[in-house]
Amino acid sequence: MAKPVLRKPKKKQNPLKAAKVTYIDYKDTTLLRKFISDRGKIRARRVTGVTVQEQRQIAAAIKNAREMALLPYTSATR
Amino acid sequence: MRHYELMVILDPDLEERTVAPSLDRYLGLVRQDGGTVDSVDVWGRRRMAYEINKRAEGIYAVVELTAEPATVKELDRQLTLNESVMRTKVIRPDAR
Repeated sequence: MAKPVLRKPKKKQNPLKAAKVTYIDYKDTTLLRKFISDRGKIRARRVTGVTVQEQRQIAAAIKNAREMALLPYTSATR
Repeated sequence: MRHYELMVILDPDLEERTVAPSLDRYLGLVRQDGGTVDSVDVWGRRRMAYEINKRAEGIYAVVELTAEPATVKELDRQLTLNESVMRTKVIRPDAR
């Protein structure tokens, strides 16, 4: 019987805590840009390493920023 | 009374100096209805992430105000009627 390989996933540093952000503002594009891919898509939580609540707030903020043309919906560079 | 944050994108062909006074005309509505305008921040001309109305740039302005919900609704309606206002957004920062 093969033993299931136990892998401890590396705990990610919460990037919001690092930046000392309490309120996620849709106007803060430099912060929000950390949470979108270079194609403009919102990065998954397993990539960003934030909490569920924070991810929701980030997603909402990014969508608000997109509506005001602060962030792109897509950046098709291919 | 609630705290609101209003962002508007204005036509880039507008003179940047005239933005604050013309915006203030609309904000008179807030004061008239017993609200207060806490701050007006004109960001100035800024490149947009994508084109709106065939324009690559826009003049951004952010207004913080405290007013009744109905007042803000009317303010937003009047702004969208203006041709030189390309887009508006009203946010309640303390809603959550």
